Amino acid sequence: MSRSLKQVAVLLVALLCLDLHSRVGSAPICAHGPSGCHVPSLADLFDRVIQHSARMHSLSNDLHSEFEQYFLPSKNHIGKIYRKCHTSSILTPNGKENAQKLAREELTEVILKLLMAWRDPLFQLHQSMAHQQDFNSFSSNKALEMGDMAHELRKGVEKVAERMRVLGMLGNSVTGLSVAEAMLPISDSGEAMSNYELLYCFRRDSNKVQNYLKILKCRIVPEHDC
Amino acid sequence: MRNSGVVLILTFIAKLISQAAGVSAPDKPRLTSCRSPEKETFTCWWEPGDDGGLPTTYALYYRLENSETVYECPDYRTAGENSCFFNKNDTSLWINYNITVVATNALGKNISDPVEVDVAYIVQPNTPENVTAVVVDDQGPFVRVSWEKPRTADTRSGWITLLYQLRVKQEKDKEWEEYDAGMQKYYNVFSLHPDKEFMVQVRCKPDHGFWSEWTQPTYVKMPDYIPRERSLWIIITIFSIFIILILTWTLNVKRNSVKLCLLPPVPGPKIKGFDKQLLKSGKSEEVFSSLVIQGFPPTIGYDDLLVEYLEVYDNEEQELVLDSKDLSEVCMKSKSLSDCDSGRGSCDSRTLLLEKCMEGREGSGSDQHQYSQHGETSCTSTESSECQGLEPGSPESSDGRVKTWPVVFSSPQPHHHYQVEAVKPVYHSVPEILNRSSPHAMPTNYHQLHHQDIPQQEGRFSKPACRHSQSYNQFNLDGLDTPAPGVSPSRSLEYVEVQRVNPENMLLLRPLSDPNREPEGSDYAGEDYSKVKEVTSNNILLLQRDTYHQCVDDYSQDLDSQAGQCTTQQPPHPCKPVIYQSNSGMPQEGMRVMGNGYVDSTVLMPSY
Repeated sequence: MSRSLKQVAVLLVALLCLDLHSRVGSAPICAHGPSGCHVPSLADLFDRVIQHSARMHSLSNDLHSEFEQYFLPSKNHIGKIYRKCHTSSILTPNGKENAQKLAREELTEVILKLLMAWRDPLFQLHQSMAHQQDFNSFSSNKALEMGDMAHELRKGVEKVAERMRVLGMLGNSVTGLSVAEAMLPISDSGEAMSNYELLYCFRRDSNKVQNYLKILKCRIVPEHDC
Repeated sequence: MRNSGVVLILTFIAKLISQAAGVSAPDKPRLTSCRSPEKETFTCWWEPGDDGGLPTTYALYYRLENSETVYECPDYRTAGENSCFFNKNDTSLWINYNITVVATNALGKNISDPVEVDVAYIVQPNTPENVTAVVVDDQGPFVRVSWEKPRTADTRSGWITLLYQLRVKQEKDKEWEEYDAGMQKYYNVFSLHPDKEFMVQVRCKPDHGFWSEWTQPTYVKMPDYIPRERSLWIIITIFSIFIILILTWTLNVKRNSVKLCLLPPVPGPKIKGFDKQLLKSGKSEEVFSSLVIQGFPPTIGYDDLLVEYLEVYDNEEQELVLDSKDLSEVCMKSKSLSDCDSGRGSCDSRTLLLEKCMEGREGSGSDQHQYSQHGETSCTSTESSECQGLEPGSPESSDGRVKTWPVVFSSPQPHHHYQVEAVKPVYHSVPEILNRSSPHAMPTNYHQLHHQDIPQQEGRFSKPACRHSQSYNQFNLDGLDTPAPGVSPSRSLEYVEVQRVNPENMLLLRPLSDPNREPEGSDYAGEDYSKVKEVTSNNILLLQRDTYHQCVDDYSQDLDSQAGQCTTQQPPHPCKPVIYQSNSGMPQEGMRVMGNGYVDSTVLMPSY
């Protein structure tokens, strides 16, 4: 009896530790000050983020192509009416002028919204792909990687936003996205979207994110590659 | 009912008529492609089908995603025939366009298949502009190709990101050489052949989209850089010359070893002392003279080489040893004085013999020594005989002077281990008998020489020789008077002088240092040897002395070939020839008179 109690106690402690660890935010590496670390500039941060988004988009593109190739050989999809992507409610500029008209803060917010909206659907996507036997492990790994990338990209953009805020480039009109709008990928009809639809939508949204980030970068730090 | 039937019939008739006339409704057009050059506008092209012989109009309709509103193409003209141009206002990104084309003519219309278009993915930029290729001679001539972005693409705002690519080839080449330039707008092309003309083309692509068309070729001519090649050849030549010089020097330094390696010397016959030139000249005597080894075969030590060292102990010697215990011991003691020859050396020494005799008298009862060498033994026996002989002659012996007749058989090469036939001495030291007594005033010591049968010499050992000598030396000391005082005991060499020969064939000896003697020159004492003046026809040696002496008639009896050794000398005066008689027939020719007057009886010795 005492032994089982002991085991339970150990388990509880372990769980607490894990839970605590999950709640604790990561401490900055350069705790000792800026002299000990190389603090990347805003341009570097932007470059990193843009590269990340490019990788994410290419992954989504590959997955989408695989889907189209293997699972939708017929062209009957033309007649299909795509359900709306769950992110369609987010107002996004669909043109260059529209995008340039947006302020930095709004643009940043849009990006963050989009990335946030895809956190859970991507996880679901990976889950469903892993469970189904139709996919090989390679595809499901790609989906998993894609989800992780989206997560990291969001974090990165948040850092960029933070840096911009620090530098005074961003006004205070940016609403804190602490309250994540976890949107469920439920279409108007209430049905869950299929994997293909998810992939289709995510491919587009990742393109948007990449484009918006580039615009943002060239607007804020125009000396690099703009 | 009737109307429909009529209509049908009319339609059918119309069709028949139209078919007969060759006109029909248009075929389905086909949308070939839709492209956006800058992601802000796009254009769609279609391919008209058969128009059916009648003028046909085409209309493009599109519908936006998730909208049922059908719009018609706003601009049919900008993009040319059978195209539809969508301007910025009509273009929306990230939205699916459902586009169809409808062909209409008098007889009917036809709708093409719909096409889904998302503008963001149909971007195909225009070609790059202002492609320039310049030869730069900075670090080796290369071509720097530079261009500009297509005018329409807005990369400045980051709306579009373009990647460039260029390709180069010569006019005659088939294959292009492609290079990726990334996002930069210039590129350095290396490894182009000199003095050739190249064409360069550039194209670009957005990060997600289609490649643009290639630009028009830009020609560039590479200069001729022979000077550089020439300098390279010069450097190569100098380097090779340098290497050759080093090799030559190395070979020169090691020329001997190289020669040895390449041309190994052929060994030729080599005979020491052989002169090939003489041989060629034909004088054989001189040639072979050098081959003749002087002194070969060895005449002296010949027997030495033949003889093995043997240690022989026999009872006779032991007896002899026993007889002369004292002397043997003495002999051994004094052995150290001699060199490595067998006891003979010590025994040969006259002084030693004299000393031994003295010591032997003094130290009596000494232990018997064994003799490893015959010489000693024999000498011991000799000594014993002599000393014993002397013993009774106490007066003489009391003064310590030993009047003996040492027989010297010395081999020219004293060897320990060779039992040389010592019977062949190089020289004979004629034993001198100390003549103690003057014939007149001094008592005379008579040494009788007995002729004894000399045993046949075995030749191999010196023992018999000594025995032989022993035989000679057995003489009786009779009436040895006390020698005159003053005669110092002989230390080294004490010679006796034959005073005269009495009628009984006895040699009357007296010591050389006899004061009764007439004073003679100092050289007298130095002259130990007699010189043979001449040999008479009767086999008589005529000895000669330089200084005047008393003429003493001496003679000794020779037994045979050893006569020379045991002869006493004494030509006292040149006027008186000393007559030696030899019993045995001695061939005169056997004796060889040496130039200096000494008798060399080497030849007389029988060969063993």
